Amino acid sequence: MRSVWLITRKNLKLLVRTKLSALIVIFAPLLIILIIGLSFNTSSNLGLNIGVYSSTFTADVESFIATLQQEDYKVVKYEDSIEECVEDIKFGFVHTCIDLPESFKIDGNTPKEITFHLDPSKINLVYMVQETLKSKFNFKSQEISQEITGNILSKLASTKSTLNDKNSLLVVAKDSSSSLSSSSGTYSSSLSSLDLQAVTLTYNTTLISQTASAVSTAQGKVTDAKTVVTASGLSDEEKQTITLALDSAASELASAAGMVKGSGSDNLENVISSLEGQVGVLSGKINAAAGTVQSISTSLGGTSSSLSEISSTLNSVVESLTVVHAELDALPVTDAETITSPLITKIERVGREGTYLNYLFPSLLVLVVMFTSLLLGTTLVMMEKNSPAFLRNFFLPLKKATFIISTYLTNLILIIIQVVIILTVSLIFLENSLSMMPLIFIILLVGGSVFTFLGMALGYVFTSEETGVLASISLGSIMLFLSGVILPLESVSPFLREITFYNPFVITEKLIREVFIFQTNLSGMGVDFLTLISYALFLFLVILVAESLLHQHIVDRFMRSRHRLQRQKERRVKIDF
Amino acid sequence: MKLIELKEVSKRYSDKDILSNVNFCIEEGDFYGVIGRSGSGKTTLLNLITGFIRPSQGSVQYYSKVTEGPNDLTIDLHKLKKYFGFTPQHNSFYHKLTVKENLFHFGRLYDIKSSTLINNIKNLLIFTKLFDHRNKLAEHLSEGMQRRLDIACSLVHKPKLLVLDEPTADLDPILQKDILRLLQEVNKQGVTIVMASHHLESVENFCNKVAIVHKGQVYSQGLIDDIKKPFLKNNFTINLRPGDNRELLINTLRQLPINKIIDEGNQLIIYPQDIRMTVNSLLKFIEEENLYFNDMDVRKPSLNEIFEKISHNN
Repeated sequence: MRSVWLITRKNLKLLVRTKLSALIVIFAPLLIILIIGLSFNTSSNLGLNIGVYSSTFTADVESFIATLQQEDYKVVKYEDSIEECVEDIKFGFVHTCIDLPESFKIDGNTPKEITFHLDPSKINLVYMVQETLKSKFNFKSQEISQEITGNILSKLASTKSTLNDKNSLLVVAKDSSSSLSSSSGTYSSSLSSLDLQAVTLTYNTTLISQTASAVSTAQGKVTDAKTVVTASGLSDEEKQTITLALDSAASELASAAGMVKGSGSDNLENVISSLEGQVGVLSGKINAAAGTVQSISTSLGGTSSSLSEISSTLNSVVESLTVVHAELDALPVTDAETITSPLITKIERVGREGTYLNYLFPSLLVLVVMFTSLLLGTTLVMMEKNSPAFLRNFFLPLKKATFIISTYLTNLILIIIQVVIILTVSLIFLENSLSMMPLIFIILLVGGSVFTFLGMALGYVFTSEETGVLASISLGSIMLFLSGVILPLESVSPFLREITFYNPFVITEKLIREVFIFQTNLSGMGVDFLTLISYALFLFLVILVAESLLHQHIVDRFMRSRHRLQRQKERRVKIDF
Repeated sequence: MKLIELKEVSKRYSDKDILSNVNFCIEEGDFYGVIGRSGSGKTTLLNLITGFIRPSQGSVQYYSKVTEGPNDLTIDLHKLKKYFGFTPQHNSFYHKLTVKENLFHFGRLYDIKSSTLINNIKNLLIFTKLFDHRNKLAEHLSEGMQRRLDIACSLVHKPKLLVLDEPTADLDPILQKDILRLLQEVNKQGVTIVMASHHLESVENFCNKVAIVHKGQVYSQGLIDDIKKPFLKNNFTINLRPGDNRELLINTLRQLPINKIIDEGNQLIIYPQDIRMTVNSLLKFIEEENLYFNDMDVRKPSLNEIFEKISHNN
């Protein structure tokens, strides 16, 4: 056990005394944890850029925007079109676009639709945005739902009060109606008891009419005849004769009159007297009926007023019900689903539809290229530095840049092979991607160059291959963690996030995503692409300068180490001899 | 004709003087041996000669018929690199390349015409006896072959000056001689050689000039005989065994012009006035009188002895 401890202690001492190894082995993980810990040690979603589009920014919409702004979200308004906002998602200026209705006021049975436009390739961000904004919209939806329900309930309360009011009137009207109903029965029996049966008699009225007609006719003729006689130029004799005739006629007429006033039962007087008797009976009956009718008429006067009251009560009830109906009709939302979920959210994917592989593809691709390039860069430089032929290279009449470019070129060839393999294989899984591959290839080469130079720089700085490789992995891990691939960058503070935008991993991944998912062309991503190229050139110059400055030191160290090894070897050989 | 000249050169690492105030000159065609103890500054001296490191003080001049006047190595290093070949202590080639591939790789980087290079490589392979192994991976070669390949890599561009840092280190005596003979051949072909070694016997046998480096200074430099002159002995010794004609020998010696005889029992140390004449007379007398003794030491001091003496004195 003691020996184990002794060896362990020795190992630790050796490790700590090799400064760079100690730095990398012990402090690199600590540094990574520190950087990541500090970066993501926040519970808020800082600096989430939300694009909001609405055809009209009403007070309602503005109020919602203000709520978002209170939560530290940066809200960018788009007034022209949602497409403008969607374009900005592609370029990463905003993280999501929300297509809002003009107003959140629900004025029908159709719920209001809110559309989120999200970049599906940023899967972690999608979930974060969804979760974060969903709660906001749920709250708003609840608020609207409460408002609608409140409105309906107030209408119901008002209806209830109206119905209560009208109910007592209807009770009175009902009582009046019952009373009228019993009165009507009484009136009915009274009226049915009236004897209005006429006496049925048969009179021979022909005689009277005949007589009357004959008398009339005769009297007319007599008169006419006398007139004619008088006026005629006849002699008196003649006139006498005629007058006698006329007088005879008159006597006949008198006989007729006797017939009318005769003593038999058939004379007219008897007839009239019979008629008078009958009329008297009838008169009595009519008087009785009149009394009854009078009595009923008086009663019906009260009934009329009761009916009038009932009518006005019913009118009032009808009016109230009409108002209630109108009010209920005026309720805009009656659909239960709309009342419970007045706002529905919809998610629209920006860019082409695809599988998760499509969305993960850019990150995976850059991840592979980054680690490969970093490790290859470091390893190649280390290989050359630790190669026995390193010293001989010094005597070659070549410029330092030649060696650096050669190492870079070696790396580049290996990366090209890898990228070609990856892209070819990926074509099997990713359909219709062939047209994008040349541009992706170019971006990967530029990105790979940056990572290669970074790896080479580490190779020149560190002494042992193991330390260099560990440093490369550490650097790659830091770039990966601060890229948003594992943890969303929107969780880090704005300052740190600003820094991460300069992360070559982030830039390369962004470029690939723009090409692969949004089919952007090279001109559409000029700044990022140029930034990447600038990185590569800058790093090349840094390596060139650093190599020039460090070369003598490297050579001296190399010479010393080789010299020491040689001495040790010699000593061993001497002992063998 | 001068090829390389170090003028008042000092090299300092941190606070330590590795070399101080060195003046050193190598002429064309020299086979220069640089000797010294471990840590004396031999490798630093070679690194300065090749421009591998820059002097802290002084200058290293390179003389060439091609360039006008001497060139300061620090300034014109890039231009002068093609004139140097360097073989460090350890093998300096790519172990995973074949013999031929290594030679082609380094040759091409010197911008030599293909036809010339092919010819050079063929000759080199034959010369270094590696022709039959040309397609072997360097790591599969024996130590001697690897050393020869290393030398071949240094000669592929036909340099004017070949600098070797202990080329025979960790080789067995046979391989050491093999390599030194090869270098001698290279030297005969007109390549100036500077070789650091602590195998003093080898240096004495194969080099025409030597520089003794000790504690960061070049104590002696030049032709080996010239170096030995100050260290030549003024005496010779006769080793005796019991039964040898001791008395007769002493009497005979006393007849010769001798300043002093020291009798140490089994060894006589004789200080003659003229060592050459005395030894000749003595040998003649021994032959005439048929005398016998174990052995007589009339050697010039070896480099080893000179080196020990210098080391001891300093």
